[in-house]
Amino acid sequence: MIAILKREIKSYFLSPIGYIYMGFFLLAAGIFFLFSNLFSQSSGFTGFLGSILFIYLFAIPLLTMRLFSEERRQRTDQLLLTSPVTVGEIVLGKFFAAVAVYLMTLLVTLMYVVVIVIFGDLAVWETVGSYIGFAFLGASYIAVGVFISAGTDNQLTAALVTFFSLMMIWLIDPISQSVPADLQSGVISAAALALALCVFIYVNTRNLYVVIGAALLGALVITALYFINQDIYLGFIRKFLAWFSLNKRYQNFSMGILKVDSLVYYICFSGLFLFLTVRLIEKRRWN
Amino acid sequence: MIEAANLVKRYGPHTAVDHANFRIENGEIVGFLGPNGAGKSTTMNILTGYLSSTEGTVSVDGLDILEHPIEAKKKIGYLPENPPLYPEMTVREYLFFAGEIKKVPSGVLRGRMARVMETVGVQDVSGRLIKNLSKGYRQRVGLAQAMIGDPEILILDEPTAGLDPKQILEIRDLITRLGQDHTIILSSHILPEVSAVCRRVLIINQGVIVADDTPDNLAKRLLGGSHIILRLDAGEGAVSDVLAKIAGISGREFREPQEAGTVELVLEAAGDVDIRRDIFRAFSAADIPILMMRSLDMSLEDIFLHVTTTDAAAADAAAIDSAAAAEADHVSTGDGSDNSDSSAGNSSGEEGK
Repeated sequence: MIAILKREIKSYFLSPIGYIYMGFFLLAAGIFFLFSNLFSQSSGFTGFLGSILFIYLFAIPLLTMRLFSEERRQRTDQLLLTSPVTVGEIVLGKFFAAVAVYLMTLLVTLMYVVVIVIFGDLAVWETVGSYIGFAFLGASYIAVGVFISAGTDNQLTAALVTFFSLMMIWLIDPISQSVPADLQSGVISAAALALALCVFIYVNTRNLYVVIGAALLGALVITALYFINQDIYLGFIRKFLAWFSLNKRYQNFSMGILKVDSLVYYICFSGLFLFLTVRLIEKRRWN
Repeated sequence: MIEAANLVKRYGPHTAVDHANFRIENGEIVGFLGPNGAGKSTTMNILTGYLSSTEGTVSVDGLDILEHPIEAKKKIGYLPENPPLYPEMTVREYLFFAGEIKKVPSGVLRGRMARVMETVGVQDVSGRLIKNLSKGYRQRVGLAQAMIGDPEILILDEPTAGLDPKQILEIRDLITRLGQDHTIILSSHILPEVSAVCRRVLIINQGVIVADDTPDNLAKRLLGGSHIILRLDAGEGAVSDVLAKIAGISGREFREPQEAGTVELVLEAAGDVDIRRDIFRAFSAADIPILMMRSLDMSLEDIFLHVTTTDAAAADAAAIDSAAAAEADHVSTGDGSDNSDSSAGNSSGEEGK
């Protein structure tokens, strides 16, 4: 894993992509800092950090797009997969390499903190919280990018799909505000979800009995809950979408609140996508 | 030792490898032959653990490649069809990385790199970026990568593809040298290469292993006994009379004479009997001069053509014809003229032996 991590970090700066990422991110962050803090003579640093979150929508795809797609295009995955390393080590090595470059770049923004400390009042704990939140939120974005990069052998495709996926994650909060929250729509969407799960099981197992069993179980649970606890269906879609809302959990950090459940959430979210990446790569060997 | 048992690989309805069975002992150099798309690369990718087989197992020294991938992969060095190189790295950086992921202890890696680079002859370009290297050097760096983990088994997929003739010779020499202390599986569709380097040949066609033997034995088996080509200074009638007295001839075929006033024919001897002395004595007793007598060898080309053509009977005839034609070509131009056709015929004839 360490060998892959080292090679990936080196490779970011042997090719232009590492510089493009850093340059793009720091330029955009610098412009935001200029307008939100320097010109307006404000020492509100969390506002600035909240706005650079937006830059990651464009910057993270640059960081993750080539991780696996380029290996496949150049056939260098043959070297990795025939070497005595596990797929898990390969995925983790690449993930942590991207995270390392991400954190390195983020550390450069600490000089803005220095500027604010000298010329204004820094909200210390909010800033510390924001940086911790940033580290974990960024890692979650990167995990999504790693997964998407493993699904294609074209960098551009990987970048675009990652961008749209991150945008969907961004839009989840505004969308979940406007979805219907009544009982009926809650039941229907729960049924649709159960159906989707059944299709997923069928595609993966091709076993009709298992699927029928799962469908019956799902129907039973949905009906039982309808009679036992109807409240669960009120705002069901909103609650469901909220599971995927990465940004909402960041709000606590920017208020200086270190919530363990948010950290655990980010770690699980990243872990899930890295696990899916491993499965995707292993599945391809069987096809 | 590497063993494939009932290897099957299916891509949807298409079967790329169909129940392949073979066992390669330590120290063997095995040629893996087949037309394009026959399943050579797929088989090699399965042997090295890059792909998983649909059915069947691969074991390396008794270790299953899927159940003990780490231990098994340590024993294998793989050069895929396209060398897996990172163009943005220098040769030295690349080999260092390859050594690291192949778990070479850091204490010996530097020394190993120097040795491997010297073996494949890339020390002059060790500081250059791989993207600036020529195809020949890339191939060598790929080979160095396969050797860096000091594996017992080297699996080389078309190691000379895209090289110029001089480089092909160099790589071939290198493989022969490596064969002294490695087990090597080498795929190719260039036949002289395989017959020059390998002591055993596996031929795969449409996913099925259709032949597994030494080039010599394959030739013998296909020709069904030894064939002798004769040129005699006499008429057909006289020759037939003499032949009737020789025991052990199972077939004869008169051919187009190459010289005016002579008879040319191919004799087939049953089994492994050497009838050349009997032929000499019989014709000398009849006072018929033997102008030429040589055994007819089947080159690897002919074997290949034979076993990879689906219409076996037609191919059989074609193979024997082409072997004889190569011989005839060799003989007719063997009067000192140095044209390239004769040397090609010659070399294929020599290598088939």
